Amino acid sequence: MGMSVDLWTLLLLLAVTGVAAGLVGSLTGLGGAVVVIPILVGGFDTSFAFAAGTGMVTILATSSTTGAAYVRDRLTDLRIGMFLEIATVPGALLGATFTIFLVHADLENALLIALGGVLLTIIPLTLTRRANELPEPRSPDARSRRLGLRGHYHDAALGRDVSYEAADTTPALGVMFGAGIVSGMFGIGAGVFKVLALDRFLNLPMKIATATSNFMIGVTAAAGAGVMLAAGYVNPVLAAPVAIGTAAGAYLGSQILPGLRNRTVRYLFVPVVLALAIEVILRGFGLA
Amino acid sequence: MSDSGAAPAPADPAPVRELPTEAYVRMVVVLRVGLAAAVAVLLGAILAYALQNPGASLGSILAANPILRYLGVSELAAGLAAGSVPAYLTLGVLLLIATPLLRVLSGMYYFSRGGERTLTAITLTVFVLLLLGLLVIGPLVR
Repeated sequence: MGMSVDLWTLLLLLAVTGVAAGLVGSLTGLGGAVVVIPILVGGFDTSFAFAAGTGMVTILATSSTTGAAYVRDRLTDLRIGMFLEIATVPGALLGATFTIFLVHADLENALLIALGGVLLTIIPLTLTRRANELPEPRSPDARSRRLGLRGHYHDAALGRDVSYEAADTTPALGVMFGAGIVSGMFGIGAGVFKVLALDRFLNLPMKIATATSNFMIGVTAAAGAGVMLAAGYVNPVLAAPVAIGTAAGAYLGSQILPGLRNRTVRYLFVPVVLALAIEVILRGFGLA
Repeated sequence: MSDSGAAPAPADPAPVRELPTEAYVRMVVVLRVGLAAAVAVLLGAILAYALQNPGASLGSILAANPILRYLGVSELAAGLAAGSVPAYLTLGVLLLIATPLLRVLSGMYYFSRGGERTLTAITLTVFVLLLLGLLVIGPLVR
């Protein structure tokens, strides 16, 4: 075992890891589990399955903390979010089940290498998010019209009301299913992939995409966490201090540092994710 | 395109009712109360665990997952009644998982009240799938 500290120190270290994850999660729009899982595997010698189970608990805490503010401000589109969960939830159930089968087959190292690959994919997607708030107008498809996947909000920065309507629902559902698989398999929020679908396919304003993704992350994580918990891969002694720390970190991030929520934060985030990705890939190959 | 549901939209869409403000308010309450309850239970339980198990190490925690004894409803209820710390840790995690489930239920209620059958059916399906993961798939693959 790599770490031999007394119980109180251990709980404190886990809580501090959670605070860092919560801060990162709320400032970047990611779930925070991308920080927790590599640290648990690399720093605490936790098996991938328990790290993923803890990661899902982390996401639940982040999503509930930051999600309340988005819903209160009516930036979360409940109609679009709930419609898309029909794709993310089955994906998460499938992903979590697949991970458990791989763990039972002693293929945790393959999961670590794949997680490293996913983290490396997240970096360019995080950096290439659309810079301008509003998309170019596009025609909605018939499903979008039929289900009323449209809305409006007051954009304080632009100083006016903004209306929007979801465009291409079929490819968005496909990407959401894939995001659900990634979330369930690796215990991460996969928010980058969700924002990608909401932005590029549904053509939503960035604020709505970010808030709705945050809303969906919690429900997707609940699907994966349910499977992992019932399968015995959530250890509450690990998960409790991380979840408490995450809730505190996410609250701090959303209340004290909103001015930092911009492109600069994403650039600061890159070296951290890059280092964590390299760490888990090296571990997967037995080199760390 | 084979999926007629995603064909180009007609010129005049049918009017769609917005979710009432009450739906958003209730959802915020669900999120805040759910998170506060989960954090309170987890904080109390983890402090009690540390006081009861001062000699526990990372190795012993990873070797014996205390949640395994309380995955059944009757075992969890008995553990909570007996004041078992691991049972309360399990309850805290369950409260975190239950919060998004309640969000989905709340959405289903408002879609149903607004007469939106397709979205009611979608949210009901999502809710059933979430329960399926917790109650059927997880125990099956354990």
